[in-house]
Amino acid sequence: MPLSVKHLLGIKDLTLQDIELIFQTADNFKEVLKRPIKKVPTLRDTTIVNLFFENSTRTRISFELAEKRLSADVINFTASASSVKKGETLIDTVNNILAMKVDLVIMRHSACGAPHFLSKHIQAAIVNAGDGINEHPTQALLDSFSIREKLGDVKGKKVAIVGDITHSRVAMSNIYCLKKQGAEVTVVGPPTLIPKYMAEAMGVNVTYNLREALEWCDVANVLRIQLERQNMPLFSSLREYNLFYGISRELLDGLHKEIIIMHPGPINRGVELNSDVADSKQSIILQQVENGVAIRMAVLYLIAGKKAEN
Amino acid sequence: MRILLKKAHIIAPGQALNGLIRDLLIEDGVIRQIAGEINIVGDRTISRENLHISPGWIDVFAHFCDPGYEYKEDLESGAKAAAAGGFTEVMIIPNTHPPLESKAQIEYIIRKSQHLPVNIRPMGAISKDLEGKALAEMYEMHRSGAVAFSDGTNPVQSSGLFLKALQYVKAFDGIIIQIPDDSGISQHGLMHEGLWSTRLGMPGKPAIAEEMLLERDLKLLKYTESKLHFTGVSLKKSVDLIRAAKAEGLQVTCSVTPYHLLLSDENLQQYDSVFKVNPPLREGDDIMALRNAVKEGVIDCIATHHFPQDVDGKQKEFEYAGEGMIGLESCFGVLGKALENLTVEQKVSLLAVNARKIFGIPIPEIKEGSAADITLFDPEISWIFEENGIHSKSKNSPFKGSKLKGKPLGIINKNRFYTDSSF
Repeated sequence: MPLSVKHLLGIKDLTLQDIELIFQTADNFKEVLKRPIKKVPTLRDTTIVNLFFENSTRTRISFELAEKRLSADVINFTASASSVKKGETLIDTVNNILAMKVDLVIMRHSACGAPHFLSKHIQAAIVNAGDGINEHPTQALLDSFSIREKLGDVKGKKVAIVGDITHSRVAMSNIYCLKKQGAEVTVVGPPTLIPKYMAEAMGVNVTYNLREALEWCDVANVLRIQLERQNMPLFSSLREYNLFYGISRELLDGLHKEIIIMHPGPINRGVELNSDVADSKQSIILQQVENGVAIRMAVLYLIAGKKAEN
Repeated sequence: MRILLKKAHIIAPGQALNGLIRDLLIEDGVIRQIAGEINIVGDRTISRENLHISPGWIDVFAHFCDPGYEYKEDLESGAKAAAAGGFTEVMIIPNTHPPLESKAQIEYIIRKSQHLPVNIRPMGAISKDLEGKALAEMYEMHRSGAVAFSDGTNPVQSSGLFLKALQYVKAFDGIIIQIPDDSGISQHGLMHEGLWSTRLGMPGKPAIAEEMLLERDLKLLKYTESKLHFTGVSLKKSVDLIRAAKAEGLQVTCSVTPYHLLLSDENLQQYDSVFKVNPPLREGDDIMALRNAVKEGVIDCIATHHFPQDVDGKQKEFEYAGEGMIGLESCFGVLGKALENLTVEQKVSLLAVNARKIFGIPIPEIKEGSAADITLFDPEISWIFEENGIHSKSKNSPFKGSKLKGKPLGIINKNRFYTDSSF
């Protein structure tokens, strides 16, 4: 059964069957990654461009590794969105690359909806690696995949998403992904970092009290404070943020149960997470990173529409 | 030139011949004869079922981009678009480069548009360079023919300057036009803030950005006892505030765009930049409130907010795309869809009468001996708004390919007959 979509633009467009298919495929690739030879020839004749208009290290590396494990030919293109703003248009940039016979575009861009726009103007398939504050679908998939791995299922689980919800594409994609799988979601953060219509628009609980959210949840997905995406000061200081919205060992020990801690990285230690939490056994942050490669292999494989050859 | 109009339904609210069906003979730009039947051979004889005529329509807020952005539109192409949309008169905004902020700029527009079939009336800038910091030479621009004063797409943010502007124009009974938008609140937004902006992951422009500037401006208006026209009102709340201000006796009037009467924020689901406008497309409840306010008369007239953008200006990431849509040519057909329960006479009042009263422009008369300033139209016919029929240099309309109701058929003005239709 193929995916219901040609591009992976956002979790918003996926069905539950799509999500399950990606997870099942990722299970197989995760097994491949444990073999002594971690490479399969699946995408041997596929050329993929990683088009990053916004800085990224870990997402780009994760995609690149996934591409290489699948034997795809890989090119990397890094440009700042501002240089594109001044000069060449996005369509021209991409068509120039596609003219060299590229099959698949992985794109990160600072403008919301940029991959959706591009998908209407080019032939190749697109995987969204993050667009503005809108979506970051592969991150949400790997987060849910990690919850599923740790707790057996996502359905019925309670997930708190902590921090800067307004400027987080990770939050948006996670909410769509978790809700589609039947999880309950609470978002928690300072009121200035939570969109006004969050509860109504997305069907989530909203609270400004971290302890209350942590008492409620099975999993806390803690977001990075996105200082670079805020247009004006939205909280007083990192110090005060840490005091009221940072997760400390003491806070976790005071809860009535042991919850799982996740973070999409990179961590601001001492801001949203203290080190004694980030490095604790409750944290599955590094498993998330590991699963990221398997999830991205699954997405690339399914989007490229090839048959598994392993 | 002799033009004979056969069996025309005359829609001229407040005039003697309103509601009658008559033949009209127009000779050298003047209405020579109006009678039940005229049997003179004209150079052109216009005979068509359901032919309606009214005083020529006026648009109160359009951008002709000239000088400075002639690749999007210029006075000639703008006039063609206006004529095709049934407009004989257009008020244009000063957001050109350089801006229309001095006598020289106003005179340039008036001189350059003299030979065009459409009367083009420039608005003068309120502030120098449209920066909202110091008053432009409004008195002299008024003398040179500026019809009203506005900073157009840069609404004045400074309360102090806006107060001074309202006071200053009282010297010559001038009128200020403002889009109510507090940019301090809305500047980072890309669409209306609400359920859809949240779901789409787009930064929102909160409704209070419009409400707050509108409330502030009304307070300043009350203090100064001047005249103010809001254009592009897009919220139920705005309409409520204006209704209350009118009841209180303030000299406030307002206009709405055709697209705010038909489209909502739901239309942005595909991140299509053709829907990127300011004020942004609002919610379903707002649309209904605006329609009711038109019917009720709280909204006085229609402003197309014809803002041309070339292909490259729109064909880019939503965030970087230019704002606005063209609106002159689709205006009447969009109103036909949005305002189905309005009579033809009410529509003509919105398009031809009320705005002229507000801005002190004579209303063209349909009577023997008057200069012919007439719009020909069919209020009932359904038609497809095709891209290749667009006269504007820019094609940024979401209505391309849509079925519209009611069609302008041509204009007669300044002894010129302009039409695309075959009769």
